Amino acid sequence: MVPRDLVLCAPSYRREMQNLYVPHGAYANVCGSDLIRQPDGTFAVLEDNLRVPSGVSYMLANREAAKRVFPGVFRGAGVRSIDRYPDLLLSTLKGMAADWRPNPQVVVLTPGVYNSAYFEHAYLARLMGAPLVEGRDLVVHDNMVYMRTTTGLRRIDVIYRRVDDDFIDPLTFRRDSGLGSAGLFNAYRAGNVVICNAPGTGVADDKAVYAYVPEIIRYYLGEDPILPNIETFLCREPAQLSHVLANLDKLVVKAVGASGGYGMLIGPHSTRAERAEFADALKADPANYIAQPTIQLSTAPCLIDSAIEPRHVDLRPFILSGEKIAVTPGALTRVALRRGSLVVNSSQGGRLEGHLGHRRRP
Amino acid sequence: MMLARVADSLYWIGRYVERAEHMARLSDVMLTATLDRTEAATEVARIALAAVGDTEPEKALAPFKATQALVLDREDHGSIATSLARARENARQVRDQITTETWERLNLVHFRMTDPNAGRVFRDGSQAFLHDIIADLHLFKGAADATMSHGEGWRFLLLGVYLERAQLIGALLEVCFGDGKRKPITDHFALTSVLRMACALEPYLRVYTADMQPRFILEFLLLDEDFPRSLRFCTDRIEEHLAVIARNVEPGHANPERVAGRLRARLQYADMEEIQAQGASAFISGVLDECAAIHRMVYETFVAYPLEQRLPA
Repeated sequence: MVPRDLVLCAPSYRREMQNLYVPHGAYANVCGSDLIRQPDGTFAVLEDNLRVPSGVSYMLANREAAKRVFPGVFRGAGVRSIDRYPDLLLSTLKGMAADWRPNPQVVVLTPGVYNSAYFEHAYLARLMGAPLVEGRDLVVHDNMVYMRTTTGLRRIDVIYRRVDDDFIDPLTFRRDSGLGSAGLFNAYRAGNVVICNAPGTGVADDKAVYAYVPEIIRYYLGEDPILPNIETFLCREPAQLSHVLANLDKLVVKAVGASGGYGMLIGPHSTRAERAEFADALKADPANYIAQPTIQLSTAPCLIDSAIEPRHVDLRPFILSGEKIAVTPGALTRVALRRGSLVVNSSQGGRLEGHLGHRRRP
Repeated sequence: MMLARVADSLYWIGRYVERAEHMARLSDVMLTATLDRTEAATEVARIALAAVGDTEPEKALAPFKATQALVLDREDHGSIATSLARARENARQVRDQITTETWERLNLVHFRMTDPNAGRVFRDGSQAFLHDIIADLHLFKGAADATMSHGEGWRFLLLGVYLERAQLIGALLEVCFGDGKRKPITDHFALTSVLRMACALEPYLRVYTADMQPRFILEFLLLDEDFPRSLRFCTDRIEEHLAVIARNVEPGHANPERVAGRLRARLQYADMEEIQAQGASAFISGVLDECAAIHRMVYETFVAYPLEQRLPA
């Protein structure tokens, strides 16, 4: 149903994960899907983030700040609490440990203070009460992972890693990485430690795989997706490619493997030269691109330079899956700060706001 | 149980914070003393600079310039600015281990030091600036004491504070009372300034009254049981914290708590007559050597231990 080459040729595909089964079949323990509101008011999924989704600490910290600034709004609105997130995350992670380990040791693995998301790593570690480790704190011996503590080595059961696949183990992945620990992946394969999210989950972030998600849901779960996808044209299909080329000025074209709002063409806002450049790129490597109709993202009033102006937003709820699946009743709202811009991404200067999940009326 | 890297960072936060506070106090005493152009004032500047390892005699003649460098020079490894930057850098590494209240205090001092106007503020009111830094650092220690769990991390922080303090006060005493070649300090003003540098003037007065005797000052700063900046008090705390920290380490490692205990006992049962007969210099440098040894052993035992010894069999 999903073309074989789409998965096997994806840059984030990890051959090393073949024939490896993880507890509860939960590969993406933390997932952040980006939702948008369409002009007719219905929500749709814009993108999935299964690799190492970030932003949840901003949701929590912004909520705290918002409560301090607008206590009146909260009092009347029946806002549901999101305080349980760290607790849910910890129990999800603990649930991934092997059954025979009675009190599993969970750690958060960070690339270090110079990473732009370090605040989040430290924040989550603090709220979960889990040690925040760096690669240099870890030691692998006999396929067991230990951390260096003041009283000697201590065994680790679950690693919530905030380091990309490529960097977690110089023996298996990138050799020049100093952020991971040599031998970590073998320990994982041996079942002595669990890495969350599993390496290789980035395959599902691929924008071409995204197009197949509704089909995957229908085939494997036998039910209809609750949230629809955005209509997506796969340039790998010749018929769809010619449609895309004919309508470049109306569509948004995205490179499948790219993230962070890079490598995309927004048809209606593009120049003739940009379109010509993308058309050449499309013909040269059609499988690398998808196209979607330009969607008018919904707007929210934002305070810009002391005036209230509308800005386009999207919404990222966080989904935890392990033994059970839990969705936090709140989400991160991301704002495209430039007027009229449709690119909402924190790597490109988007601003982050907390979103309030309302209690549904009975 | 805590990460070795985290313990290391906490230990260094303690050391840097204590170092910055001591430097700020030395600078303050030096600036206040040299407002009068007297022989004794130059002597005070010389003592303060020598206590931070700067023995160039001409610097003591330009005390303002010397303090300015000591406080604000980022290039200088020993300056207050550098110490505080490093303390904060270490704190950022272990942000999840210290309470928000504690972190905020350190962050505020950091903002005070890195403010673009810091140079001007220092020029316009040096004493007020230094006083604020010292007060900020007191708040930091207070917040750490009042809000952090008094567990292992807190003990590593305080181990750093007291080990650094012992070495700084030891260095000050060595400059004032150790050097046999220079004539002993007898001037009343210089002696009170020495006490001020150790933040000891008021507690000293309560014990010895206004009778400024070099021998009493030495005795107070070396052997007083209750004054928190005496060497004896510092070694008491060092031993106390090390004993608890070392409780869970498997036997067979280097034994910093034993060395700390021996040092504490040496100061506890020291006799002033004997110290003077033997020469204060030898006694003080002995204490400083032991402190350096404790520092080394803390590393070997808790932080940079060889892995082979600790791997499960």
